[in-house]
Amino acid sequence: MKNSYKILIVSALSLTFWACDKTVDEPQRVGYTPVSVDEKAGTWKTYVLPSPADVTVAVPASTASAEYVAEVTDLKSRSANLSLDQQEAVVFWGVGAVYRWNEIARELAARYNVPPASTADGKYPVPDAANPTADPKFPFANPPYTARALAYLSVAQYDALVATWSYKYKFNRPAPSKVDVTVRVSLPVSALPSYPSEDVVVAAASATVLKAMFPGEVTFIDAKVAEHRNSRLWAGMNVESDLAAGASLGSQVAVKVMARAKTDGMSASNNQTVTAALIQAAQSRGQTNVWTSQEIPARPPMLPNYGAAINWNFDAATKVKLRPNPAPLPGSDQFNKELAELQSMQKNQTREQARIANYWSDGPGSYTPPGHWNRAAANAAHEAKFSEVRMARTLALVSTAIHDAGVCCWETKFYYYTPRPQQYGVKTSIGLPNFPSYTSGHSTFSAAAATALGYVFPDKADTFTAQAKEASESRVYGMIHFRSDCDAGLVCGKNIGGYAVARGQADGSGL
Amino acid sequence: MKRLIVRAGLGTSLVLLTTLSALAQMPNDAIYMPKKTICAALMLGQSNWNSYWENTLKRENDNIGKHTTQSASLMAAGGLSNRVNLIVNLPYVTTNTSAGNLLGQKGFQDLSGWLKINAVQYKGLSLHTIVGASIPVSDYVPSFLPMSIGMGAKTVSGRLLANYKHEPTGLYITAHGTYTWRGTVNLDQDAYQFDGKIYNTNRAAVPNAMDAALRLGILKRTFQTEVFAERFACLSGDNIRRNDMPFLTNNMQATTAGWYGKYQPHNVGVNARASYVTSGLNMGQSTSFMLGLLYQINL
Repeated sequence: MKNSYKILIVSALSLTFWACDKTVDEPQRVGYTPVSVDEKAGTWKTYVLPSPADVTVAVPASTASAEYVAEVTDLKSRSANLSLDQQEAVVFWGVGAVYRWNEIARELAARYNVPPASTADGKYPVPDAANPTADPKFPFANPPYTARALAYLSVAQYDALVATWSYKYKFNRPAPSKVDVTVRVSLPVSALPSYPSEDVVVAAASATVLKAMFPGEVTFIDAKVAEHRNSRLWAGMNVESDLAAGASLGSQVAVKVMARAKTDGMSASNNQTVTAALIQAAQSRGQTNVWTSQEIPARPPMLPNYGAAINWNFDAATKVKLRPNPAPLPGSDQFNKELAELQSMQKNQTREQARIANYWSDGPGSYTPPGHWNRAAANAAHEAKFSEVRMARTLALVSTAIHDAGVCCWETKFYYYTPRPQQYGVKTSIGLPNFPSYTSGHSTFSAAAATALGYVFPDKADTFTAQAKEASESRVYGMIHFRSDCDAGLVCGKNIGGYAVARGQADGSGL
Repeated sequence: MKRLIVRAGLGTSLVLLTTLSALAQMPNDAIYMPKKTICAALMLGQSNWNSYWENTLKRENDNIGKHTTQSASLMAAGGLSNRVNLIVNLPYVTTNTSAGNLLGQKGFQDLSGWLKINAVQYKGLSLHTIVGASIPVSDYVPSFLPMSIGMGAKTVSGRLLANYKHEPTGLYITAHGTYTWRGTVNLDQDAYQFDGKIYNTNRAAVPNAMDAALRLGILKRTFQTEVFAERFACLSGDNIRRNDMPFLTNNMQATTAGWYGKYQPHNVGVNARASYVTSGLNMGQSTSFMLGLLYQINL
């Protein structure tokens, strides 16, 4: 017995270590000096802001002024003797302003990405922007909603940073640590002029957009803004007047950008009264078997009028031209073949197919496919050590392409109103979205994003294209889309992404 | 919801499993196989729920209807000595729902093993130390809850069990408590939400858990009958978001009441278990049944 006790104790301990390694390590990112500060970015073409002259920025005090010297003295006291929390904030925000605010937006999207529950009388309450924290919370940050939120976020950041660059080089006030070498800095200092602070521009612009998109998160967002702003003092990177000018500029631009949001058609996107006519129109074109909600109780379709919203990179006539030809009609040989593929997959789905379906599913509780591709874009831009303005340009190109893809895809979905495989008895290993099948949203989002990303990162273009293809096929593997839905979505997405590429090539960046 | 399955795998299935004649034994009793005897068992289990606790909200879901987990487990308990037993168990699990369109999952779940030691024996009173471990034996998808067949985590459990038996009548009372370490799981996804925060990794930590139980019964040479109450609780974890699906990181808890019985006049016997979850958190309110066929081998 004594020996067995010893063996027991030793094996219990070793088993414990074997099973209870609970460390969950996220990849950690650190700040960098950008490969280029893109000093000409003040001339790049903006999306909404007519020109940098449309915002007002106070002329800064000269570095020789008593006022500035006092600010530097204050900065020195703030950047000395940092607490652990302050050091962590400096490192966190030092990774990049655009990078972090995109990440925050994705997290907000994930938190709000749950469809409302049905009530006892079988109805689905509509989230109320005036009462965002009640059940159901506002918004339901589904893929179309998130695509739009991220597009406005990136556009506001980009337009604001273009204006920022314009003023930075107009005033040319150097970083405080270059004026006074005794300022202790905790982050890499580039040659970029420091007035206005690009970090606070991004924080202010992002906060304005995100508070409008997630009105229940004002307190959370304000806390992030405050920490971001303070981190620039703790890091010794900006004096107070850099920050104040940045906050003003960022807010001014974001307000103009959000003025577009008020008239972009989104407010009518959930107009359920249009569906009867849409169904009738689809049927008159030969689609006798139309989509019906597979949820119990039947849920009204997700944003049936989202397809009527305006696009970023092309007009309404182009949107109609981008719409693909009809899907194979139920009963046709092609339809039967594609249905048989799904029926077979239901019986014989491989683990690898399940993995791919799960990896790309980005369903409820996630940041959705638009968030997935924003993450890919932000990571690629970070790895390429882009300046803030170039990172914002990258994310604006990608996220406007994604938003355009969403609008076009939804227009197509509700134009054709095609049934889901589940209307033919097919089950799913990932969960079924509540809107028509053709074309696949994942395919359209992914191809548009991959096309824009391939233009910005040509050496990674093949990888992005392959990922988009995999994301597209994942919907077949998850058994919620017919193959035609995915193939057509990929083609449309690629064409839509092409308009973002054309814009990028003509935006004056020379990139 | 998940916990149902885990129990099927580690706790209950074992619990459900064994028992040989008066000798048949499980990781939650004070019964031992004598040296050089093995009890093999085939046990069939079914667990259903119509309602579940979404966080603290008890609700039904028309898109799930009735959720069913079925299992077939092969178990063996052997006497290494008269006071040290080894128990192993392997369940095959299937899931399905009566409504909605979620694809049922199936496969071999987690192989588990328990080493049970009778550390102290004084007249009718005995103390036992029991250590267990489990490991997934197939590459099932752990994150597709509530359809997944298991949690996908390796586990290690330490249990202390006290028993008092009144020999003349066969009446006994058993109390035990367990701490279970549960490891991290590799997800197919490379990001997930935990407690309102996004984690940009494919590694998710399944919360550690504790359980405790009180059992009261009669154990005779050919039969055993017992009523029990069990409490299972994760020690951390988040809650199911409003109208969202459960996830591996959820703080699952349940209080269960039930009955266990066994009849084994000779080498061949049967056992059965019925239980009902009376309250819970982030889990289904399941009703479970098990029926087992036992066979004792003397080496």
